[in-house]
Amino acid sequence: MKRLLALTGFLLLARPASAESYEEHDYLLNCAGCHRMDGSGSRAVPSLRGMRELSEMPGARAYWVRVPGAAQAPLTDARLAALMNWLVERFAGQKPSPAYTAEEVNRLRSTPLRDPIARRNEMRRAASHQRWRLHRE
Amino acid sequence: MSRLDRWFEGVARQSARRVSRRSWLSRFGGVLVGGAALPLLPVARAAEKHRVGEDGVKGREGDPTRCEYWRHCAIDGFLCSCCGGSHTACPPGTEMSPVTWIGTCRNPADGKDYIISYNDCCGKTFCGRCICNRNEGERPLYHWYRNNDINWCGGARAQTYSCSTAVLVKAAKEAQPEK
Repeated sequence: MKRLLALTGFLLLARPASAESYEEHDYLLNCAGCHRMDGSGSRAVPSLRGMRELSEMPGARAYWVRVPGAAQAPLTDARLAALMNWLVERFAGQKPSPAYTAEEVNRLRSTPLRDPIARRNEMRRAASHQRWRLHRE
Repeated sequence: MSRLDRWFEGVARQSARRVSRRSWLSRFGGVLVGGAALPLLPVARAAEKHRVGEDGVKGREGDPTRCEYWRHCAIDGFLCSCCGGSHTACPPGTEMSPVTWIGTCRNPADGKDYIISYNDCCGKTFCGRCICNRNEGERPLYHWYRNNDINWCGGARAQTYSCSTAVLVKAAKEAQPEK
């Protein structure tokens, strides 16, 4: 029995190390073409470094999954959730808390944004209004 | 007169006595035509098949100036390696587009899949040499970032397409399309 428990413990510990991680692979094939390898974007595509500014705003978590590039990526919900966790940590500077799950990603990507730029401007306006109210109080 | 000049004169006079001009011309022509036809011989083609080229790949699949080059598996355009640049660098006077489409190709030397970035070179009129249209793993226009019919020079300062490169990014975890 002891031996069986030890073996189970060993297998549980060994599992994360042997699990394939696809985050960088998925980023290169699904995001880097337009956002570039370092996420800096170009004249035509926004920089992913802007995620840091958005991370403080309410609604950013849902916004990042609902933008067309993420919502329509040919990835399973689980792979997209893992990619989003990797992406947010890399470009917004901190891990999403709680981490995205496949269920949450499935729910969010089912309503992709029709006008991501308008939504981003709306979030910025709301954040600036909130700051103004706090300043007055 | 130097000894070398005397020797040449002697050889020239001797050949003029022995060989007629027509005979010389016919032999010289034979050498020219024969030399040009050598690569058409099966021997030369067999040798090409075994020549190790780029990335340790044999034959045409290892030659970046050929459409059959392994990294060109998903390309659609003129090869920059025939246009004054290379498969990783743009020809002079053009700019590499910062946005691009990215796919995977299998390296026949090690049987592994690699991520390849097909950056277009922009700013001069289209090159017109070495057209290559393979499109493996390409997706229809509704998956626009997996489509190579788009003018990817849209992200560059000048939008005129000239030719395409095939830059190796890193080893892929799996071939496209994703599971």
